[in-house]
Amino acid sequence: MATATTQGPLEQFRQLNDGDAELQAHGAYFSCSYLLDMEDHTFLVRVHRGRIEELTIDPEPLTAYDFAIRASAETWRGFCRPTPPPMCHGIWAATFRRDMRLEGNLLVLMQNLRCLTRQLELLRVTGPLG
Amino acid sequence: MSTTPSRISPVTGHYVTIDVEGIEYKVFYLEHGEGQPLVCQHTAGAHNHQWRDLLEDEEITSNYRVIAYDLARHGKSDPPRNTEWWKEEYKLTANHYVAFITAFCDALGLDDPIFMGSSFGGNVALQLALHHPDRFKAVIPVEGADHSPGFYLDWWQHPHANAAQVCASGVWDLMAPQSPDKDRWATWFYYSQGSESFKGDLHFYSVDHDLRDRLGDIDGEQCPVIMLTGDYDYLTTPEDGERTAKQIRGAEFVEMKDIGHFPMSENYPRFAPYLKHALRRIAELTGDR
Repeated sequence: MATATTQGPLEQFRQLNDGDAELQAHGAYFSCSYLLDMEDHTFLVRVHRGRIEELTIDPEPLTAYDFAIRASAETWRGFCRPTPPPMCHGIWAATFRRDMRLEGNLLVLMQNLRCLTRQLELLRVTGPLG
Repeated sequence: MSTTPSRISPVTGHYVTIDVEGIEYKVFYLEHGEGQPLVCQHTAGAHNHQWRDLLEDEEITSNYRVIAYDLARHGKSDPPRNTEWWKEEYKLTANHYVAFITAFCDALGLDDPIFMGSSFGGNVALQLALHHPDRFKAVIPVEGADHSPGFYLDWWQHPHANAAQVCASGVWDLMAPQSPDKDRWATWFYYSQGSESFKGDLHFYSVDHDLRDRLGDIDGEQCPVIMLTGDYDYLTTPEDGERTAKQIRGAEFVEMKDIGHFPMSENYPRFAPYLKHALRRIAELTGDR
């Protein structure tokens, strides 16, 4: 079970990911890039073989990525709680019932769905990234 | 490290061959208990292990004969035996689903069974109450609604993605974060086994099942309807369940807290008190006890 540390949430997210037993057991082919749009800030996450290769706050315009996950700051606050409330508890739930939007190449999202789902649950430990 | 002593479960498995609209199926079912038959339908793309803890709940099996079958193409129930099923796209319809369940109950000679199903099983429970109120003592639609669009998706069988993982992780959020990891992962595992049937099941769930203008025709006094829905279910929400129950004469609705779309499988201890309440209400309404 991962625990919170005194580091900033970005670095903590990276460390939790790279030390996560499930992701390291099943992430050999988990390689993709995506944007988390949390309203106040965006975050580029580039993953290579299960490890976070790049994690950038507010990336430059024209930065390329495979897909984006966008929602209001309020939805992300719920999503990032240790026990998220109903309908904020995952990208499917929040897309069906809140204001989350999945955009871009969703085939890449689906190809990596198992590990991506686990990776995003690390936000329950870090809280919102910024 | 502690060890678990060996133990043989009282649950037994059987096969029964049935005819449904001229098509032959060899159906697998698990059962345990004595008394009032309680027939249980798993969710779309899954199989009867979702009812594993109910089947061993002595408080229920002491008074109920719990029967959990695998719908054709699920678990240990094969596709049809006498058709070239591989030459057709599987798209479950309400009519066939209802015919399958009544044929199965007839084959076992069940007298006035209670029918309980979850998700697409909850929706078909409503169909049974509408079309066959004389054949069932009562129905318990779990995570059911009059209409549940939006889940008949090509992603479940996209050839460029791992269908097993897309189905299994695609339903992960349907479970509550409070449910125990071991039970959520067992449910995930069942879903990794069912991708070939999942999309076709959802043809019933999201396309063919639509009772929005038929709820007034369900006689919930002849066939009591007790609906149960978890608050983490984003597909058939508590609002959907409550709206549905309000339009059925005599129906009752209960919102279950801190649980999702697979209550019997993701967290049986949490689900059990709600189920026992439903069974008590059915007994009271039908004058059994």
